[in-house]
Amino acid sequence: MSGSDGAMLDVSNLWVGFPSYGEQTHHALKGVDLRIAPGEMIGLVGESGSGKTTLARAIMGLVPPPGVVEKGRVLFAGRDLTALGDEARRAVLGRELAMVIPNPRAELNPVLPVGRQISNVAFYHLGVSRKEADRIALDMLRAVRIPDPERRFAAYPHELSGGMAQRVVIAIALVCWPRLVISDDATSGLDVTVQSQVLDLLQTMVREKQAATLFITRDIAITAHFCARIAIIYAGEIVEVADTRSFFTRPHHPYSIMLLAAFSHNPALRARWTRTEAAGGVATGGCAFAPRCVRRQPRCTQEAPVLRQMAAGHDVRCHFPVDAAA
Amino acid sequence: MSAMLDVQNLVKLFPLAGTRKVVQAVNGVSFTINRGETLSLVGESGSGKTTVGRCILGLIDATSGDIIFDGQPMGRGRDIRSKALRGRVQLVFQEPAESLDPRIRIGATLAEPLRFLGVNRADRDKRVREVAEHLGLPARVLDQYPAELSAGLQQRAGIGRAVITRPELVILDEPTSALDPTARAEIVDLLIRLQAEFGTAYLLITHDLSTVRFVSHRVAVLYLGSIVEEAPAEALFARPLHPYSVGLLSSVLLPDPALTRTSAVRLEGEIPSPIDLPPGCALAGRCPFADARCRAERPVPVAVAPQHFVSCFHHDKVAALDDTTDNFARFQEDSARLLSVGAG
Repeated sequence: MSGSDGAMLDVSNLWVGFPSYGEQTHHALKGVDLRIAPGEMIGLVGESGSGKTTLARAIMGLVPPPGVVEKGRVLFAGRDLTALGDEARRAVLGRELAMVIPNPRAELNPVLPVGRQISNVAFYHLGVSRKEADRIALDMLRAVRIPDPERRFAAYPHELSGGMAQRVVIAIALVCWPRLVISDDATSGLDVTVQSQVLDLLQTMVREKQAATLFITRDIAITAHFCARIAIIYAGEIVEVADTRSFFTRPHHPYSIMLLAAFSHNPALRARWTRTEAAGGVATGGCAFAPRCVRRQPRCTQEAPVLRQMAAGHDVRCHFPVDAAA
Repeated sequence: MSAMLDVQNLVKLFPLAGTRKVVQAVNGVSFTINRGETLSLVGESGSGKTTVGRCILGLIDATSGDIIFDGQPMGRGRDIRSKALRGRVQLVFQEPAESLDPRIRIGATLAEPLRFLGVNRADRDKRVREVAEHLGLPARVLDQYPAELSAGLQQRAGIGRAVITRPELVILDEPTSALDPTARAEIVDLLIRLQAEFGTAYLLITHDLSTVRFVSHRVAVLYLGSIVEEAPAEALFARPLHPYSVGLLSSVLLPDPALTRTSAVRLEGEIPSPIDLPPGCALAGRCPFADARCRAERPVPVAVAPQHFVSCFHHDKVAALDDTTDNFARFQEDSARLLSVGAG
C-alpha cells in the first residue's frame, strides 16, 4: 500500500478542515485515499457539498481559506505536492497538472481575447516564442473543435456561447499536455452532443499522452462510459470504489444505489431508496449516510464503517452492503 | 376542443447592429399545447428554444406569426403582464439561486405574485402555507433566505412561486439543469404530481433529454429555429425518424456501460451560426444522408404516424437503420432489476 509504485497521483489519508469561529471544525474531507495510474481515468461522483471540489483543490494545493489540509499526503509522480513552496507549485500547476473548471465565463479573463489566454499558458510554461505560442493556441482551438478558430482566436469570452467558452477552458488546461488532468464538473453545462465530443477528446488525450485523469462529476452516467474506475464520495469520505463494470453490475453501497435510482423513472422504486422522513443532517457518531439510508440499523448510528473489500478491486464503506443475493 | 396554446408560424429575427444581417433565431415554429398536457421543446443551445418561450410570454415581441392563448391572440397589449392574463401563465427559471430575490424571505417571495393579483394578506398567508405543504417545503423554509437553502429547495420555491396563482400554463425553462441528479428526480416527481392534481399544462424547454421522456406527453425537437420532428414522447424515444433526433438521442449517456451510443448518425461539430441561413434543410451540413435536394429545398413536416411529424426527405432511410435501439427502455428495465433488491 505504501510508496508510489508507478501511480501518477497517490492521495493518502487526506483530511481537510474548515475551522469555524465558536463552532467545531467542519471536515470537508475525512481521510480520503485515491490512486490514479498513468493513462487512467477515474470518475469521482457525489452530490454538491460532498467534498469533490475540495479534493480537487487540495490536490492542487489551493484549498480556499480558511480551509487547511490537516493531515495526509498528496504524491504527484512521486513528489509531495503539499510540501511544495508557492513558487515550485506554480511551475507544476498548468504545466504538468491542469484543472478544467465549471462555469467558464467566471474563470476566463473578460478583457483578454480567448486565443491570448490559451497562448499565455504555452508562453509561460513551455518557454516558446510568442509567435509559436499563438500557433500552439490556434492548434488547440482546432483540437477542441471550435468552428472558425482563426476568427474565434481574437474573440472575447462574452462573444462565445457557453459550450464554446467551456472548450476554451479545456484548451487552456490541455495546451501543455499535462500528466494529470483534474476535470471538475467541466461538462455539466454543455449540450449532450457537445458533451460527448468533449469527453471523446479528453479520452483521446488521456490515451495518447498517458495522462491520468480525475474526472469529478455529479452525473454518474458519464463515468459509466468514460472512466475505467469509479469512486463515490459522500460527506468527505469515499464510500465505494470499484472498476466501472463491477460497479454498474452490482453497486453495493445504499448511497450508490440511490444515485442510480435518480435516473430511474419508476417513482415507486426510487421512493424505496430515498428516505424522506429524516431531515438530512450528518450523523456524528456513526455512518455519515445513516440519516438518509433506507437500510439503516442501530449499529449504523453508533459505529462508523470502514472501507472493506467486497470483491477484487471493489471496496465498500458500509456495515450492511447490498449483496447480489439480497 | 381547441388547444389552450396555439403557436403558428412563429418567426423571430434579431437584426445585427451595424449590418444588414439578421439572426434567424426562430424560423416558423408551430405547435399546440392542450390543457393539462406537457410539450417538451428540446434542442441544443442556439436552437431557439428559449426565444420561443420568451415570445410566448411576451418578454420579447415576435417578428411575425400568431400566438393564441385561450382563444385570443397574444401580442402588444396582451401578454402575461396584462391584467386579464396575470397569473394564468407563469415561468420557472433555470438558475434557482439567481431567480430568487436574495433579500426577501421565501415566504414573501411565494406571496408576491398574489399581491399583484390583489389577494388580501390573510388569504395570501393561507395560500402560501398550502403551497409550501404541497411542495414538500418544510415550514421553517418560509422564514429563510434563498442563500440558506440547497439548490433543490430553491428550485422548489421557484416552482411554488409559479404555481401559487394556479396557472393554466407554466413555461419551464431548463428547470432541472442546475441540479444534482438526486434533486432533479425530486423536482420531476413534483412537477408530475402538480400536473396530475391541478391539470396545469407545461411547456418544458430543456436540453436534458433523460427527464424529457418521462415528463412529456409530446416532444418537439428544435434545430436552428425550426421543429424538425414532433411526436409522442414514447414514439420519439423508441424510434426517432429525423437524423438530428437520432444523433441527439444517441448522445445521451445512461448510467450503464453496456448501453453504448449508437453510431448510425454522429453529429459532428456544433450548431452552425443562425445568421443568414442557407436555403434547404438546416441540418444538411452535418447530416450523413444529405444530398443535392436537401441543400436546395427546405423539407416540410410529413405525418408518418398519428401525431408524429418529421421534416426530412430521407426519413424512410432513417427508419431503415437497424441500430436505433431504445436504450432508454432497456435502461429502465435493467435499473428496475438493480433497484428491486435490498431496499430497507
